[in-house]
Amino acid sequence: MFLAHVTPLQASIFSSLAIVSLLLTFVMLGSHWLRNYVYAFAAQSWLIAALSAAVAYFGGYRELYAIAVLTALFRGLVLPLLLMRIVDRLHVKREIHAILQPSSSLVIGALVVMFAFVISNHMNQQALPAGRVVVLALTIMLSMKFLGFLMLAVRDEAISQILGLLVLENGIFLGSQILVPGMPLLIEIVILFDLLIVVACFGMLVRFLVVHAGTTSSRQLTRLVG
Amino acid sequence: MILSDALLQIGQVLCVLLLAPLLQGFILKVEERVQRSRGPSFFQPYRDLWKLFHKQSVVPESASWIYFIAPIVAFTAMLIVPILIPVLTDRPLPQSDMGDMLGGGMILTLGSFAIILAGLDSGNVYGGIGSSRAVMLAILAEPTLILVLVGISLLAKAMLPFVVNHLLLGSLSTYWSPAHLFLILAFLALLLVETDRLPIHSSTHLEIYMIDEARILEYSGPLLALLKWASMMKQFILYTIFCNVFLLPWGMSQLGTALGQFGSVVALLLKFLVVALAIVVVETVQSRLRFYRYQEPLAAGFLFAVLAIVSSQLL
Amino acid sequence: MTQPLLLILFLAPLGAIALSLGLRHARVAEYATVIAALADLVVSVPLLARTLRGSVIEGHNYVQLDTLGAWVIVCVSIVYALSSIYAVGYMRLLNEEHRLPLFYGLFSGFAFTMLAACVMNNAGVFWIAIELTTLISTFLVGFEQEAESTEAAWKYIVVVSGGISLALLGTVLFYWGGSFVLGPSYAMTWAALRQSAPHVYPPLLLVSFLLVLVGYGTKAGLAPMHTWLPDAHSESPAPVSAMLSGALLNTSMLGIARFLGVVNGTSVSRFAHSAVVGFGIFSFALASLFIVRQTGIKRLMAYSSVEHIGVQALGLGFGGILGIAGALYHMLNHSLNKSLMFFGAGNAMRAYGTKEISGIRHVLKTFPVSGILWLLGAVGIAGAPPFALFLSEFTILRAGINGRYRWAAIVFVFFLIVIFVGFLAHFRAMYFDDAPEQEIPRLTGTVWRTLPMWLAFLPLLALGLWWPQGLWDVFTKITLDVMGGVR
Repeated sequence: MFLAHVTPLQASIFSSLAIVSLLLTFVMLGSHWLRNYVYAFAAQSWLIAALSAAVAYFGGYRELYAIAVLTALFRGLVLPLLLMRIVDRLHVKREIHAILQPSSSLVIGALVVMFAFVISNHMNQQALPAGRVVVLALTIMLSMKFLGFLMLAVRDEAISQILGLLVLENGIFLGSQILVPGMPLLIEIVILFDLLIVVACFGMLVRFLVVHAGTTSSRQLTRLVG
Repeated sequence: MILSDALLQIGQVLCVLLLAPLLQGFILKVEERVQRSRGPSFFQPYRDLWKLFHKQSVVPESASWIYFIAPIVAFTAMLIVPILIPVLTDRPLPQSDMGDMLGGGMILTLGSFAIILAGLDSGNVYGGIGSSRAVMLAILAEPTLILVLVGISLLAKAMLPFVVNHLLLGSLSTYWSPAHLFLILAFLALLLVETDRLPIHSSTHLEIYMIDEARILEYSGPLLALLKWASMMKQFILYTIFCNVFLLPWGMSQLGTALGQFGSVVALLLKFLVVALAIVVVETVQSRLRFYRYQEPLAAGFLFAVLAIVSSQLL
Repeated sequence: MTQPLLLILFLAPLGAIALSLGLRHARVAEYATVIAALADLVVSVPLLARTLRGSVIEGHNYVQLDTLGAWVIVCVSIVYALSSIYAVGYMRLLNEEHRLPLFYGLFSGFAFTMLAACVMNNAGVFWIAIELTTLISTFLVGFEQEAESTEAAWKYIVVVSGGISLALLGTVLFYWGGSFVLGPSYAMTWAALRQSAPHVYPPLLLVSFLLVLVGYGTKAGLAPMHTWLPDAHSESPAPVSAMLSGALLNTSMLGIARFLGVVNGTSVSRFAHSAVVGFGIFSFALASLFIVRQTGIKRLMAYSSVEHIGVQALGLGFGGILGIAGALYHMLNHSLNKSLMFFGAGNAMRAYGTKEISGIRHVLKTFPVSGILWLLGAVGIAGAPPFALFLSEFTILRAGINGRYRWAAIVFVFFLIVIFVGFLAHFRAMYFDDAPEQEIPRLTGTVWRTLPMWLAFLPLLALGLWWPQGLWDVFTKITLDVMGGVR
């Protein structure tokens, strides 16, 4: 397995890229401004693309170069551009944190990272070679999942919820680059394009929300109950 | 000529004592210069202290013995801490095993605690406000401080700052490891809060923001001088810890010669120059946060400290 | 012989999409959709028969038609056919002729993605197909462009996308676990996963399975992840509701069934089955409580869907020939019955102009023929004989009583009684209660909107009286091949 032969230098490169991506998720969690969310997401996607390229270089997986380029292009450029268009059209600048203040979200996020670490450690009890990078990858993947769900749950604005979903996908992608770099190319490419279609659909839906429901804040979408 | 250990230790304490106002003066002057005004001279804090020592002391009627004891306790605590941390030499000097990092942190907090009590002592409204706000900040900042100390202990597998210093000097990979970088960021957040830089900036005289000035509002004369000197020394000490333990562990005297000591002092001042410039940039770029948002930079600091601990386990 | 049939199965909806969106004429779109759906229905039965002899692998191992997939294709095609016939009559009531081609294009696209999901051999591509069904059906849910529909569509896509991202994580973890056995790069077919599962580190396998269960369970409508379901099913147009309830939930249960088959026979199998039973019984209980106090007619049907998906999960969790056969038979019967109910509800909504049960009274006066069908369908969906749902629920009960899950079977019976009383209380109110003074609605039934109800009702009655031996063969084969044999 690839992770069995990782030198310390490679391990530290992978780890730093992954950890800074996680940090950017916290930026998204703790910020008040919608534009900052999109910038942080773009930076995160670029870092993940760099991670793909690093895995391709050190592991000898030629196809991952293509994935890296596609990730940088689509997740790093096209998606943030689409999201910025949606944000601009919405005339909403700030996220009003009604349920959880940013600082509390940061603290909860820190606790979540610890929890994810405990889970990954437990899952990795098997004597896996190069265990630490694996545990790191699992931890960051699970933490980004939790943080994405946290963003989905406590945020009002439609854009924040879209970004929460995209963070979920980013987390899975990051984990899969480190854990399963040999996953068939077709699946990875299709998932990339799938994301694009998802965001396009979200864009249309947000427009419908504004036109028909009059608001994009989910605190005010309370017509359907019971 | 190699100085004796006792002389070196006294020299450390004197260095902190005498150079603390210089650091304060430097920061104030550079801040003003960055904003294109002239600013006070570098040595203004010395002149202020001199002036205060020659003034009469006015004591409120409702003051008790705490009023007199608190500045002395704070000042003394700030004199004790330089004994425990690497200031000029990077090998432990006599009495530096009196307390490890947690002990040093405790003594620093003891000083702040004394001043908080002093604020409450005379029954003044402003003192009460200042003390309660200071305690709130302390509550928010203490967990981060403890976690930072825990993190650095986990990295170095020891609780002594000297061991950490040697580790960072010796191993480049530890210096650049994510755990260490996160700890630097966490301590930076703490530094900003504890030394009253923006976004907290509590050393103003505006009621709505003042924290430190409120606590010492009742003091005058020599006691006030002691309090001000203590807070300047606290700033110096925190900068020392930041530089010599975390950020720039180089440039400290190893053998203990007189020339080495002098060079170490110069190196210390240079390091502080770098950090102070960075702090001034941070201050100038930001504006003050509203009071209920003080938790945000501290939560970020807490986050960094937790991430540092997790990364130290993972890497 | 199978290849042409498969081609027809997939090309028919594609052709309907092309004609609808290309020619932009409402009548053409309607008829093209109906013809495509009927073609699919006709083709699906021989395909099912063909798979009894063995699975069909096409397309570089990416397409696999096995018995389980063929069975779900049959269910989906039936709903597709019935709904498309009903849609012709229903959508004309909306008076939006210019948007109808878009509707039919999306409708056939929705059916196409569901059919594609059934034959996907690769777990990753299966996920992609499910994701596509979500995307297309969102626009169908929000088709009426009211505030409520848009809100329902938004909730649908956010909750379900979040849910199936969990399923993607589970799939990646499955792949990772398998990579220790099969090497770093292998095709993630169901057979490969089944082969590698016994050798994977058990906690990892368990976490992967639970993630997949929760993920696809969100899409299937298992509680507590069902929160999107009442909104989406009640706010969409009635034919779309029938498709969502009758076809989409089944396709998601297909995912759960396949993964359950993957872990069957490993050390985590027991926990996995218990988890499925747990979700099933929780959905059932929760749905029954919501049914009792429901006020909207289509939300009532939606909670009934949650209930029946819970029953299917119970059947899969109980396992064994009886459990799985019951669950699969339930898929078919639920598709028929739920379509019938949604068609009736759509008729009632359009006639009385309200979604509230309290606003619908004296149904028999408005709909003499289809009203009787609707009432009998309600009796059927509450689980009474002689309708088909009774047979499948009884089979599942038999499977549960004899095994480890006796407690679940007892809870099941209790809440069945609760649902029977609650559900039929609403219908009694609608049919036999006195109404406040209101004018008699003007809408009468048309052939387009009544014929599908007949077409749904008659097989329901027939299957309730007679369980064909051929179906037993199908279910036995599925149990042995896909679900890993009898426990």
